Amino acid sequence: MTDRVFRMVLWIALAAGTIGATAFQRATPPADMTARAMAAAETFLATLDSAQRAKANLAFNESTRTVWSNLPTGIAMQVGATERNGVKLGMLTPAQEKAALAMVASVLSRDGFQKAMQIVDADQLLETRSAPTRAAGAPIRFGRAEYYVSILGKPSTTDRWMIQFGGHHLAINVTLAGRQGVLTPTHTGAQPASYSVDGRTIRPLGGENDKAFALINALTAEQKKQAILGVAVQNLVLGPGTDGKTIAPEGARAATFTATQRTMLVDVIREWVGIIGDEAAAAKMKEVEDGLGDTYFAWAGATDNGKGAYFRIQGPAVFIEYAPQGNGANNVDHIHTMYRDPTNDYAAKAATR
Amino acid sequence: MTKVMAAALAFAVLWPATARAHRLDEYLQAARVSLGRTRVLIELDLTPGATVASTIVPLIDRDADGVISPAEIEAYGRRVLADLTITLDGRDIVLQLTRIDAPSIDEMREGMGNIQLRATGRVNAGPGTRRLYLQNRHLPAASVYMVNALMPDDRAITVVSQRRDPQQSSATIAYEMGPGRIAQATWLSIGAIGLSALALFRRGATPDPRSLIPDP
Repeated sequence: MTDRVFRMVLWIALAAGTIGATAFQRATPPADMTARAMAAAETFLATLDSAQRAKANLAFNESTRTVWSNLPTGIAMQVGATERNGVKLGMLTPAQEKAALAMVASVLSRDGFQKAMQIVDADQLLETRSAPTRAAGAPIRFGRAEYYVSILGKPSTTDRWMIQFGGHHLAINVTLAGRQGVLTPTHTGAQPASYSVDGRTIRPLGGENDKAFALINALTAEQKKQAILGVAVQNLVLGPGTDGKTIAPEGARAATFTATQRTMLVDVIREWVGIIGDEAAAAKMKEVEDGLGDTYFAWAGATDNGKGAYFRIQGPAVFIEYAPQGNGANNVDHIHTMYRDPTNDYAAKAATR
Repeated sequence: MTKVMAAALAFAVLWPATARAHRLDEYLQAARVSLGRTRVLIELDLTPGATVASTIVPLIDRDADGVISPAEIEAYGRRVLADLTITLDGRDIVLQLTRIDAPSIDEMREGMGNIQLRATGRVNAGPGTRRLYLQNRHLPAASVYMVNALMPDDRAITVVSQRRDPQQSSATIAYEMGPGRIAQATWLSIGAIGLSALALFRRGATPDPRSLIPDP
């Protein structure tokens, strides 16, 4: 009797559990990136006091969204602003910082978030090195504490809004518009471009560098003749402060590439596109691949990996630059990159719909 | 974080003492060229490296008071423009300085200050292939250069090629100038009138098939 009652209770419990779990799953389908970002943004804002919240959450408009740069704090940015939007990590409590970074992570892929934090770590190394020799009172600062996080606009699953995370060598600009997530314009960079932690070599932009070198060396002599510009390129052409501009394309056209070469080009592009969350990255990669035939690959500099070389990828919906800084032997250790979409920076298409 | 701090200590010991965070030993002069039917716009961004700033700053801060006045930066802008040669199909273009913004002297000494110069020149480019030549001779001993054509706003203008010397101190931009909107509209109107006239003529010339049916 006791056994029969036990079995019945167990059966009812299992049935109830199954029904309950099914009902829960139906009530809460997997959230899309925008919904996750909205929840994370609201959680972050809830950790802040009113003064911090006023700094962290600004209006989304032309004059706020363009405030980002490759430069460290203490330097006027290319757009004229002297301070980034938002609150900086150095002014947050550990709980607030955790919520801030969780919000950033909510719109990035696992690899993308790791890349961003490796850039931050590189800058921390730079701060450690430069602080002892810095002039007293010098306003320039590097390091993790100098990275800012902001929310532009009201977090929403329908209207356009934006999450920015940036500091020296990093400007993550994710615009959310309904279910659409747009990463452009975004700047990444690194100095040092290679460092060690626990005997492990960290190269935040190593994938970008190595895959591009592999591609240039996979081109035929005729294709290389088209791709290699034969000039020295010392910096980004369309770096921070040049929103809305496009240059005339140059280099080898991917329409002339073999299937293998095209796959290699797509892999290079994915290094930037894949920074954003997986669903948004997949949608963007499809758009990039649709326009691959009209995409150009241009190169300037040595073709031996380990030496400094500039490259550019320009297609109908993608613009990428990778630029070692300066012309000295150390230029491979100081990299600037830029990722833009000439048709949809800041989710411009959503604004016109 | 502790691991990163340990790496930072190792890095601090091993990193070359001469290495700096930003541009160091060259004066970067990056030009972007915007081509139009009646004017050419030059955007020139000038970034002195940290070790050459001591040479550049006295050229701008003429009274050496440690502050760059509007008159000083404007005078420097004119000096830069005087070092540019720009021609269209071999004919000189006169550039007018339209804007120049200066960073602080401290920012320039750090190799992070960016002077933004904008200039415009009037041109009269008719349809056909055009060649714009730009040469920058400003402080060649200390400088590295970049020059790029922007995608023209006017869709009738197509950049065909950009040929630069290896240092990018000079470039020839070849572009195709199509007919302007007014000319296009005129030709479209003429075409439309012609087609209409042809249609009317054909209607008049071709007998109505019904007229070929004999009366019962």
